[in-house]
Amino acid sequence: MSGQASAAPLLELRQISRQFGGLQALSEVSFQVEQGEIFGLIGPNGAGKTTLFNLLSGVTPASNGTIHWRGQAMQGLSPDRHNRLGIARTFQNLRLFTGLSVLENVLVALHRQPQGGKLDALLNSSRFRRRQSELRERALQLLEELGLADQAHRQASGLAYGDRRRLEIARALATAPALLLLDEPAAGMNPREKEQLCELLAQLRQRHQLTLVVIEHHVPLLMQLCQRLAVLDFGRLIALGTPEQIQRDPRVIEAYLGGSR
Amino acid sequence: MIDNGLLVQMILGALLGLSVYLPMAAGQLSLATPAFYAVGGTLAALLSTQGNAQSAISLWAVLGEMLLAGCLTAGLALLVGLPVLRLRGIYLAIATIALVEIVRVAILNLPFTGGAAGIFGIPQPFQKPFGYVLFSGALLAVCGWLFQRLEASRLGRSMAAIRDDELASRCMGIHTTRVKLTAFLASAVLAGITGVIAAHYLNTWNARQGSFDVAITTLAFVILGGSRSWLGPVIGGLLLTALPELLRPVGDLRLVLFGLVILLGPVFFPQGLITPALLERLGRWKP
Amino acid sequence: MIDTLLQTLLNGAASGGVYALVALGYTLIFSVLGVINFAQGALFSLGGYLTYLLLGGKIGVNGALPGWGLPIELPFWLALLLAALGSGAVGLLVERIAFAPLRRRGAEPLLSLITSLGAGVVLVNLLQLLMGAEGYAFPQAAAGLAHLPESLLLGGARIRTIQVLLLVISALAVASLSLWLERSRSGKAMRAVAEDPTTATLLGINSVAVVRLAFLLSGMLAGLGGGLIGMSVSLAGPYFGISYGLKGLAVLVLGGLGSVPGAIVGGLVMGLAEALIPSEASGWRDALAFAILFAVLVLRPSGLLGRRQLEKV
Repeated sequence: MSGQASAAPLLELRQISRQFGGLQALSEVSFQVEQGEIFGLIGPNGAGKTTLFNLLSGVTPASNGTIHWRGQAMQGLSPDRHNRLGIARTFQNLRLFTGLSVLENVLVALHRQPQGGKLDALLNSSRFRRRQSELRERALQLLEELGLADQAHRQASGLAYGDRRRLEIARALATAPALLLLDEPAAGMNPREKEQLCELLAQLRQRHQLTLVVIEHHVPLLMQLCQRLAVLDFGRLIALGTPEQIQRDPRVIEAYLGGSR
Repeated sequence: MIDNGLLVQMILGALLGLSVYLPMAAGQLSLATPAFYAVGGTLAALLSTQGNAQSAISLWAVLGEMLLAGCLTAGLALLVGLPVLRLRGIYLAIATIALVEIVRVAILNLPFTGGAAGIFGIPQPFQKPFGYVLFSGALLAVCGWLFQRLEASRLGRSMAAIRDDELASRCMGIHTTRVKLTAFLASAVLAGITGVIAAHYLNTWNARQGSFDVAITTLAFVILGGSRSWLGPVIGGLLLTALPELLRPVGDLRLVLFGLVILLGPVFFPQGLITPALLERLGRWKP
Repeated sequence: MIDTLLQTLLNGAASGGVYALVALGYTLIFSVLGVINFAQGALFSLGGYLTYLLLGGKIGVNGALPGWGLPIELPFWLALLLAALGSGAVGLLVERIAFAPLRRRGAEPLLSLITSLGAGVVLVNLLQLLMGAEGYAFPQAAAGLAHLPESLLLGGARIRTIQVLLLVISALAVASLSLWLERSRSGKAMRAVAEDPTTATLLGINSVAVVRLAFLLSGMLAGLGGGLIGMSVSLAGPYFGISYGLKGLAVLVLGGLGSVPGAIVGGLVMGLAEALIPSEASGWRDALAFAILFAVLVLRPSGLLGRRQLEKV
């Protein structure tokens, strides 16, 4: 906790727990994420990382504890409300709109932008057409940033694996979030792609004033990317700190770094 | 070979196909089209046979009935859709089957709907079937325009997204319940006003008009025609209404054939007749 | 007064038992696949007609082969059992055609609702082509039930023997199925697949076999119900099973989707509720189940005994 009279942290978890039947997926996890941070989340398989994302995006409710967004409790809000508050996410096992084109995937996510009026949509007025082509421009621009512009008219299901991961990011960005939750964005990428992704995420954070929370198995990538990391093991927060602190933490070495090597 | 009478039925079939297609375009299976069709038809039959028996009715009166039927079916759809559409998709399928049964039993048992025999002598706004062709054809054209605009709009895109992945849509901030409800309401209104036209055209109306069989045939329209564009159900509705009439000898096999379409269609030709690839070849550019 | 009430309750319990059979059939498939098999009502009809034919019944004048019948006259028990097996076999066929190809392709689960509906429509209309739309009464004398009295006196109430049989047989079927799910190896495998298909596969449980078993059993339950209703009431045309299939859906929601005890309790509640409708309002009886269904969806979507379903991400 900072003793200063500064504004509330962007995101704050207070004693978050989640049970599934008899399984304790998360127990009493607390941490804060500050505005503009890149925050890493690591831990072995089944440590509760994705469950935590599901809680942060409103997909599953917490069993106990509260999550605060800019100082306000977000209890019982639906996933769409979470998004409207400024939290967007990607999915570990990719949930693109596979029946739509790459461009349409991003256009769908631009739904909160002014569309040019309902009546205009009905009459296909020039105002509506102009507005829609502006939206397409905006979508293309996002695709450009993620290096997907040349594939804009392909069906999303036809993309290569790494491109699909980037499209998920473009789609999430289109909802203009303040906080972006990335669930294993580098999974399935080769080392060169991972390197590029790292640079890209840093750029995106700058350009879109983002705060990032990243789940990743590839620990070196997170060590390089993040200012701070949290380590989960069996649903418990076992360490929290800078990459250097985490690397030296004996519990982390015991539970994660040591165990998995 | 296709006379005006058959043409009217084909167009009505296309309209009902569109009614089934709307929720499906948002990933929902609604089997309630016959229920709303029956509500619309019964309303028209009741209103237009009040007072002195007449054989003619003004077109304005029919339009008024359509307006009323639209309001009534929208209200009913809201009542059913609000609690159900928050739940998993399977619940809508079950609830809409239930609605068809409730409406059927109600029309059969209410004291003023004529029981099993139904209501007779529903007055005609047109002297000849050709009038109905023009009228229902105009309605179909308007619907075509609306659907075309829908697919180019935010609502249409949101529906397509929900169909592909409802949870991802919610995480993109789409109010999925509202989108699904809108599609369901529009589907109900379309079936209701189609029922009004059908009641006048058929001259008589009873509980069987809204039986479960209608759900099967209209579903077959969408599966055969294809559910990736509004043209699919229109083509499916036109074709499958015309076919059994043209192939009279088929007779009892009609429902077996429709059953086979919805049994085998999703397995062997999941895109139907009107595929996205075909549309592209026809030169319609999809943004 | 007490007598008529007792009579009403027993009638209700008897039809409630049949509803429970149908709902259990839905439950078995829902719990392993998360989908509804809309062909269940048609399998119910099939069971009724198979029982009729196995009892030595002849096809009526509107059928495809008027006057034709099987050259055998089996006792009721055997006919019922074989008919159930027959419906179960067709249930397997429905799985093969309407479910398996879509599952392999990973298609949206809603599509299997459509294909199973199609399977049901085809089945019922083939039955209609073969047997005609007319009603059939079972040949009672030949059924090996002739030695039983027409009705029994139970605590002052006069009950038709067949109603008692209906209740006893469906109770036996429900009880043995529950016990089997609880105790046997395959029953446990089925529950494991219902809990978590991926882990079950990792544990070496053949989930394809479990799915087929679910369809076989579910078809058998439907067939059994059809035979029993045919015996106690008569076969009112090939569509008679559809109305039981639809009411079974209401029972399923009432009890809670995927809950075995829910299906049983829901069936009994539904049967009793229908039996308590006064005869002046009997025209509305068919709507009661669906009114209850809506009430459940509004007030308690998870049903009487259901668990909340969570979507997996």
